[in-house]
Amino acid sequence: MTEKSLAMLLVDVSNGERNALRGIYQRQNVRLFGVANAVLRDRDQAADALHNAFINIQRRASQYDPTRGAPEAWLAAIARYAALDILRARGREMPSDDPALGDTPVEPEALVALESQENGTRLRACLEELPEKNRRGIVLAFVHGFSHPQIAAKLELPLGTVKAWIRRGLLSLRECMA
Amino acid sequence: MTPEQQAAAEDEKQGLAAEYVLGTLDAAEARAVRDNPAMAVAVADWEARLAPLLVLMPPEAPPPDLWARIEQTLGGPAPVASAMRIPWFSRFWAVGATAVAAGLAVLMVTQRPEPAPLMTVLLTSQEAPAFLVEADRGGEIRLAALNNQVVPEGRVRELWALPMGATAPTSLGLVPADGRISVRPASIRPEPGMLIEITLEPPGGSPIGRPTGPILFIGRLLPARGT
Repeated sequence: MTEKSLAMLLVDVSNGERNALRGIYQRQNVRLFGVANAVLRDRDQAADALHNAFINIQRRASQYDPTRGAPEAWLAAIARYAALDILRARGREMPSDDPALGDTPVEPEALVALESQENGTRLRACLEELPEKNRRGIVLAFVHGFSHPQIAAKLELPLGTVKAWIRRGLLSLRECMA
Repeated sequence: MTPEQQAAAEDEKQGLAAEYVLGTLDAAEARAVRDNPAMAVAVADWEARLAPLLVLMPPEAPPPDLWARIEQTLGGPAPVASAMRIPWFSRFWAVGATAVAAGLAVLMVTQRPEPAPLMTVLLTSQEAPAFLVEADRGGEIRLAALNNQVVPEGRVRELWALPMGATAPTSLGLVPADGRISVRPASIRPEPGMLIEITLEPPGGSPIGRPTGPILFIGRLLPARGT
């Protein structure tokens, strides 16, 4: 018998099966820790985030709706939110003075990697249609948890402009991907 | 609301959901979106839309003791590992069992990739997800209720499969009250496009070998996404 799918394991978790959560951890811990660590860039805090994420996965497993997306995306979203919560508590509403922050390449060429993902080709094409700074802002926020002020500092744009651009960029992404 | 106002309200909702998923909202705003059930669908759609960006976050192994920490928070380790005070020989046993489990895990990881398992979600007439169905290419079909409903008194739910090109469905058995069943039918093999349905039948199931009651749920098996 092939192993159970992640979606089925999530149903098992919502039915109170203890070993199902462990099964999810065994299969996804490396990927999900990578997600938390990309946002936090601190292994101790990323471990805290993954800890909180798994408590939330246990609590919210019954809310996973397999018709709306893959279980991998749902799990990763929970890990990202847990990391973002820690980031917010740490205080990120000021531009960081860490010069290395956000220097991970997120240039258009890096977006080639998206094409290996389900719907990634379409997302990449739609991101490419956005103005460059807009695209970078969205990627920096998603991958590194940048706040609006941090994006504004990084891209050397006024804060108000950044907020409006990102909102508009997201809405045109939705239209482009529809 | 005028159509313009409606469009503006929809943009505002979508914008908020998108910024929540992107992570740019502050703590109070994020909490407000998270706790608002009316935002859930928009949020789930944005999670799926932006999910390909996850590939830009490189995988990394967590500290080895993290699972033990999680287990502790969830109310202590599961029975096998909770052996702090039991005699040494039992402990030895537990260690042995863990080693066997670890060996199994390695075996599972090194297996050759098989064709993706098949799955479908059976929906209610209101399009709410009701059952998750998955099937191995090897022949096992598993079903689990997502929002298990009480069956009307004096009726049972029967599970059926209709292979492509077949003229009549084959019974896979009755769905137990807890909504979970795992079967390996002898006469049919799961394949993409196969219809899976659940009907309401008299006690013991349909007496004539094909559905007699209303179809409660229906869905078509397709290769699973992801893993």
